Amino acid sequence: MKYNVTIRDRSYLVEIEDINARPVIAYVEGIRFEVIPDANPLGVESQIEIQREPVRANSVDHPLKDSEPAAHEVTAPLPGTVIEVFVKQGDIIEAGQVIVIIEAMKMKNSIRSTRAGKVAEVLVNPMQTVTHKQPLVRFE
Amino acid sequence: MNLTDLFPELLKGLANFTPGNAVMIAAALIMIYLAIFKEIEPVLLLPIGFGCLLANIPLGGMTASEGMMGVLYNAGIETELFPLLIFIGVGAMIDFSPLLAQPRMVVLGAAGQFGIFGTLVLAVALGFPLNQAASIGVIGAIDGPTSIFVATKLAPELLAPIAVAAYSYMSLIPIIQPPLMRLLTTRRERLVQMDYAPKPISQKTLVLFPIVLTLVVGLLVPEATPLISMLMLGNLLKVSGAVDRLSKAAQNEIINISTLFLGLAIGATMNAASFLNFDTGMILLLGLIAFILDTVAGLLFGKLMCVLSGYKINPLIGAAGISAFPMAGRLAAKTANDEDPNNFILMHAMGANTAGQLGSVIAGGVLLAIVSKLV
Repeated sequence: MKYNVTIRDRSYLVEIEDINARPVIAYVEGIRFEVIPDANPLGVESQIEIQREPVRANSVDHPLKDSEPAAHEVTAPLPGTVIEVFVKQGDIIEAGQVIVIIEAMKMKNSIRSTRAGKVAEVLVNPMQTVTHKQPLVRFE
Repeated sequence: MNLTDLFPELLKGLANFTPGNAVMIAAALIMIYLAIFKEIEPVLLLPIGFGCLLANIPLGGMTASEGMMGVLYNAGIETELFPLLIFIGVGAMIDFSPLLAQPRMVVLGAAGQFGIFGTLVLAVALGFPLNQAASIGVIGAIDGPTSIFVATKLAPELLAPIAVAAYSYMSLIPIIQPPLMRLLTTRRERLVQMDYAPKPISQKTLVLFPIVLTLVVGLLVPEATPLISMLMLGNLLKVSGAVDRLSKAAQNEIINISTLFLGLAIGATMNAASFLNFDTGMILLLGLIAFILDTVAGLLFGKLMCVLSGYKINPLIGAAGISAFPMAGRLAAKTANDEDPNNFILMHAMGANTAGQLGSVIAGGVLLAIVSKLV
């Protein structure tokens, strides 16, 4: 879908692939943005990650493995140290939303939820070391 | 005393200034600019640039063998002391556990050394004598200290351009590698997710590894002993957990001081008379080719492993099989993560990357052994 957005007399061409995907991939004048809207549509805060990369033909359709129905947990895809936890018990989160950041080999890795749902329990705390496949968050 | 006799004496610095000196001073200023404002390997380019500046002030005397730069050169470069001290620091910063958890990554560390031998052959074909060609090829180790170590032994006259090529291209890895990674792999290959062996590495293994590796490599390739042993000493300081102060000193003071002196001494060899020539241009070009060959060979080998494993190995980690630690590993991981935000191959890429570090040191030693026999 293409939109023309006018902000202060300047119009921008915005292209959104799938408004229901998380994160929403939007191209503003060819620059790629990943936007994760707040679960509450009235909320004003949203998390925006800007990737200063021009669009490449092969990066257009990002596969987001949303909802593997069997998965009741999100597990650590790599060993490391949890440095930030963005969700808490009772939060309703979307697939693709960043839930924790794991630092491994001095590199920060954003771990995204593989499914949507309500968080039953957060199983890790900041500064905790985790092993590969250790559960991070359990869903209801 | 006559005033007309005094003038030439006051102006002798300017009188001896050549256009070549002006060119080299401009080059020095560019290096200093890149270091400060573009943050391209600032710890190295800044001292090299300043050393280069000093080397092109006529009659300053700093680069004469009794001047400060000359003393540093004789004490630390000619004796190969500085690159070895730097390696103690590098060793103390490397974590070999991803490699120990997945020993098969070792083969990628070997594939990433192809650039050394490919460039050597190319340099010989272009008319460089074997000792010089081997030193140029070692730029393909993508490891500053190894390049300097080998070049000092085989072709000290080419040390400055080789060091400049090795270090400046290393900082260009984030620009050189990603286009090659995307060009040589398919989307399907970049999406391959890899399982990470979850077994933790025991403290005993981590401590034994540097000791055993020093003995094994040292006995098989004696020429590699200085480099591998200092790398492993640094690593042992870190993993032993018993000498935290020494480990910290290696990671900070020792490597920083050695890097400053190494940069200055190398920069000071860049005077117009010896640096401004056709060979320097060729070396810079061949160095770039060496980098590209390493990446291409690593990726192709990664693709082979990918197919042989039935799409269980992401070929991007092949590009990490070079020595530039940890940059190459992070780039491979980032490229896979860009393709699919749920794909994390960081630990595999780091395994290949540390294997590349070991591979380049061993390749440097093998090259020294072969070439010093032949020359």
